[in-house]
Amino acid sequence: MPPVFLRYARLLRTQLSIASTLAMQYRFDFVLKGVMALFWMALTMVPLLVVYAQRTSVAGWTYPEALVVLGWFALLKSILDGGVTPSLNMVVEGIRTGALDFVLLKPADAQFLVSTARFEPWRIFDLIGSLVILVYAFRRLGHAPAPAHVAAAFVLLAVAVLLLYSIWILVVSASFWVVRVDNLSYLFGSLFDAGRWPIDVFKGALRFVFTFVFPLALMTTYPALTLLGKLTFGSAALVVGGGLAFTALARLAWRGAIGFYTSASS
Amino acid sequence: MHALDGLAFDIAAGQRVGFLGPNGAGKTTTLKILSGLLHPSSGEVTVAGFRPQARAPAFLKTITLVMGQKQQLLWDLPPAETYAMNRALYDIPRKEADARLGSLVELLDIGDLINKPTRQLSLGERMKCELVAALLHGPKVLFLDEPTIGLDIAMQARIRQFIRDYNEAHGATVLLTSHYMEDVAALCPRVIVIDKGHLIYDGELKELVHRIRPDKRITIRVSTPADPEVLARLPNLVSHTDNQLVLSVPLPRVNEVVRDALASLAAIDLTVEDPPLEEVMRELFASHQQKRQPA
Repeated sequence: MPPVFLRYARLLRTQLSIASTLAMQYRFDFVLKGVMALFWMALTMVPLLVVYAQRTSVAGWTYPEALVVLGWFALLKSILDGGVTPSLNMVVEGIRTGALDFVLLKPADAQFLVSTARFEPWRIFDLIGSLVILVYAFRRLGHAPAPAHVAAAFVLLAVAVLLLYSIWILVVSASFWVVRVDNLSYLFGSLFDAGRWPIDVFKGALRFVFTFVFPLALMTTYPALTLLGKLTFGSAALVVGGGLAFTALARLAWRGAIGFYTSASS
Repeated sequence: MHALDGLAFDIAAGQRVGFLGPNGAGKTTTLKILSGLLHPSSGEVTVAGFRPQARAPAFLKTITLVMGQKQQLLWDLPPAETYAMNRALYDIPRKEADARLGSLVELLDIGDLINKPTRQLSLGERMKCELVAALLHGPKVLFLDEPTIGLDIAMQARIRQFIRDYNEAHGATVLLTSHYMEDVAALCPRVIVIDKGHLIYDGELKELVHRIRPDKRITIRVSTPADPEVLARLPNLVSHTDNQLVLSVPLPRVNEVVRDALASLAAIDLTVEDPPLEEVMRELFASHQQKRQPA
């Protein structure tokens, strides 16, 4: 393995160990947050239950199929909330307070450092909850997903995480100029929430936006289709291509943004 | 509007230099440019052979920046965790890191602190732990921005001594800003003074004091209040109380004035010093202001 890779693996391990030491400092908090997470997870099912109480199919999606999208959405959200958002919220704060100084002074890639600074291990409860939803959905469907489809879905999961992460980096890059991005990250959260619905629910402009601009379709609907064995090769290629394009764009934006860092004066 | 304008200076390796100026002069901005945090809009900066803004890993391993008002220690965890993180970040072999940590901890006497959560440490204790985090990688260039701010006198003296020891032991270059003139007087043979982003003095501290305030300061403690007649005869009386008089005297006249004072006053103690650095700086900035805005 190349030494650079090993070095960053070692850094990641150190960052993870610090994050878990931090989490374990407040053990009661850890459990409490876990319980709250499960409660919220149950609550996110309500809109779906309400809609399907009236009809058996929405935009061509049956209740269990829509549940697969929802389960996938919850899975992705748990990874996002546990592994991506905490760090990147810290960057936004660090840009405002000047705490980013110490990150930029370290002889390691700054984007890597800011992206791995914080984890919220208790999000594991959300992750388990999302898996429960997925298992329940497939029981309702009456069959298990094919192993090949599960493998493909995992690839798409990695791409979806990359996509979300890249969009977050774009938001963070913007904060070097505008400094206060509370609204931007709020917008991000609200938009992401739309990912709980299959893309076919949206029509016209919204559908275009959610496929190409803020590619929710690539993150939740397409992977769900993969699990259901319905994704075409073209759509899969679109997901991977989109993921790579967003990653490159985010990297460029980040590199450009650092030059605009003004550092809060002391 | 430029924060810095036409600022130029060279610092040789191993020098300790004080970087002075009133609030908003551009001291911190300069340190941040030198350490690669801020990108200058124009001009050229070289530190230890590197262009700071490129943030090359080899450059970042050569320098450190300590900011008295910001901290890198993880708030909820003991300093030891930050040290472990920095060891990984700077790629320091474990043996080397342990040895250096051991000697830094001993020098600063913080053995019992590094395993306590940072949030439980006092400001002074935190600064000592902060210095260890900043020096664990053995930097050759130290940018210190108000490293003693908010600390009590004893702690300031302790940190000062530590910085001097580090400089001497490692031949490290030190560029220091401080509001406490004692820091500068004790540590820096050379000072660079800037105001509103412009260089107004670069040279020996002694020379600056001599140029701005060539007079010596004579302080005489007396056992009985001085006679008003005697007081009237004394040259350049700066201040006086019943038990202390302070005179400002040109160097060639010091001997004569001391002799006279001892003869005419009930002196119990007498010191001859340079005028306080604060006063020198105040006068330097005032004269610079006048030059910039001719009446």
